[in-house]
Amino acid sequence: MRRLPIVALLGMVTLALICSVMPAEKASAEKTIRIGWTADMPGIGATFYKSQKQALELFIEETNAAGGVLGRKLELVIRDSKLKPDVGATVARELILQQKCDFLVGPTSSGVALAVTKVAKEFKKIVFFHTSNTEKLTTTDFHPYMFQVVPNTGIEGRGITLFLSKKPYTRYSFIGPDYAYAHSQWDSFKANLKKLKPDAKILDAVWTKLGETNFAPYIPTLMARNPEIIYTNLWGGGLSSFIKQAKPYGLFKKASITSLYDLDLLRAAGLDMPEGLLGYCRCPFYAIDTPEMKAFVKKFYDKYKEWPSDWACMAYDGMLALTEAIKKANSIDSDEVVKAIEGLEWNSLRGRRYIRPEDHMANVGIYVGYTGKDPRYKKFLILKDVVEVPAEKVWLPVEEVKKLQAAGK
Amino acid sequence: MTPQFYLFLLVNGLAQGMLLFIIASGLTLVFGVLRIINFAHGSLYMIGAFLAFSLSTVLEEGSLISFMLLLLLVPAALMIVGLALETTLFRRIYDQEHLLQLLLTYALVLILDDTVRVIWGGDIRNVPRPTAFSGSVDLLGLSFPMYNVFILGVGPLIALGLWGLLYRSRAGNLIRAAASYPEMLGALGVNVRMVMTWTFLMGCGLAGVGGVLMAALANIDLGIGMEKIIECFAVVVIGGLGSVWGALLGSLIIGVGISFIQLPLSRLAVVFPYIAMALVLIWRPWGLFGRPER
Repeated sequence: MRRLPIVALLGMVTLALICSVMPAEKASAEKTIRIGWTADMPGIGATFYKSQKQALELFIEETNAAGGVLGRKLELVIRDSKLKPDVGATVARELILQQKCDFLVGPTSSGVALAVTKVAKEFKKIVFFHTSNTEKLTTTDFHPYMFQVVPNTGIEGRGITLFLSKKPYTRYSFIGPDYAYAHSQWDSFKANLKKLKPDAKILDAVWTKLGETNFAPYIPTLMARNPEIIYTNLWGGGLSSFIKQAKPYGLFKKASITSLYDLDLLRAAGLDMPEGLLGYCRCPFYAIDTPEMKAFVKKFYDKYKEWPSDWACMAYDGMLALTEAIKKANSIDSDEVVKAIEGLEWNSLRGRRYIRPEDHMANVGIYVGYTGKDPRYKKFLILKDVVEVPAEKVWLPVEEVKKLQAAGK
Repeated sequence: MTPQFYLFLLVNGLAQGMLLFIIASGLTLVFGVLRIINFAHGSLYMIGAFLAFSLSTVLEEGSLISFMLLLLLVPAALMIVGLALETTLFRRIYDQEHLLQLLLTYALVLILDDTVRVIWGGDIRNVPRPTAFSGSVDLLGLSFPMYNVFILGVGPLIALGLWGLLYRSRAGNLIRAAASYPEMLGALGVNVRMVMTWTFLMGCGLAGVGGVLMAALANIDLGIGMEKIIECFAVVVIGGLGSVWGALLGSLIIGVGISFIQLPLSRLAVVFPYIAMALVLIWRPWGLFGRPER
């Protein structure tokens, strides 16, 4: 008799386990197309996650309302990668093995993306990357079951350098945390700029502590260097903090700080953002004039009462490409869809785009502009006079891509 | 580079040093009287900064009165936290060896930091500067943030206040007596335990003031406590543990030193406090204003 409760408990646990696993595996897997998302939810991932989720859910809602893809409804299964590569790999496996997902959507962090892409390769499941943008994904860590719809680090770095080299700016400096990644970013910026604009005057950089939030001690040093363009790898919270602190020093009367001015940054800086700063971004809803973008922004705003961030637009674009490829392949078999992806042309929010067959990189460039006020957006500034630096001008040539891909094997 | 610019650098460095002093003075005060190196002082400062953020969201944004309220309420709240910590934990380890004290205060760092993580999450926050301090003033032809002027004013006020309290008031006599001859003081009928508790609370309050000022100067995140406590240690080693004047001098040396050393050697600014600390340790291990341990 004393054993009975334990036996009963075990029985109930087993029953509960079966109940919780069964319907997920069997009942729905037959009909729906399951999209597994290795999201980065916590900490600095939170704002990204919120808008990516809004866009993915909006896409799925619309698609399902219109009858789904190949007559099958889409279903989103979300797991938290927690910004950690090992967790990302684990949840990617879980999404494929336990949740029987047919396709994967990538995370925010590049480190997690590199772990997720390995799992996708191992199980031959297609994954697309919409926010994480390390160039390694399409070069050294490339495999056919992936594609990327966000301008990668190479397109971004070479793109902004190309843009700057055509402008009359001559004096360049840098501020960033003193660690390897920032040094290599500044070094490659300098090397590119010297090639494109030999008369550019490159001044000393200003190095801060890693994770520094108080920039006051460093700002006068930048003033002394007297640059016109301050290049930086500060972004997001660090960048908006820098801008807020540097503004009362009058730094921006003479100089611009040039970095990633995505919508979340613009919203965070709010009206503290000075006008006329030169920045770039990956997918600005307000500057892209296509019918697709207009329709998307309207739907997004009606549903969520806020504007779609760059991350939302790109996650949506990735789903557009994926479903287009599925339709073209008329199958959800990974190998069939991969064939459709190579060279796929689709109506993205950013206009007609294609995916380069050699590295599965979409021809998406960066958008460069100057901060300014706009009567439509009362609480934040946007980039104005925006131009796109086309990916074709700055992405790695195919031979170089192939060399890197071979080296990665 | 004009001479005016060097003066500008000096003023900017002094403002940074003042902020550091406000936080470090709490640490050194507590050590001076209680002989405890409170590793958790940085965490208290961080709690102050996050409390300031939370309070600022319910107060009117940009108003000077709201900001002054923050400067009153946050230190008061931290003194309550301090009271809880002192009566339950710190009181038990005053006469224990340093290793045990370090163990307790370091454990507190972990507990308090995780508490902040649970309550406020990992997001970066800040407190809007009051409109009166958000602009800039003309300083030698260059723009200098009004807020830094404000910090430059608060720092000396606190230094003077501490000096007045310690050397010109009866409470100060008691505190200094409690630091040097606690048994004698007790024998004279003074409640030494009470003196110690109040000193600890003052230290917590100063951490709170520092937290409020920092939250409006820059962004705050979960790392600021640890970062600041390390700088504070550099300050008190340079100035001499337990000496308020030493903390002032140490803070100003670090603030101004970081400002100047960047011009020729940008990457050295990050390590400057530790170089200064090492030099002092070699030349005068008890710090510039400290006394050799008996």
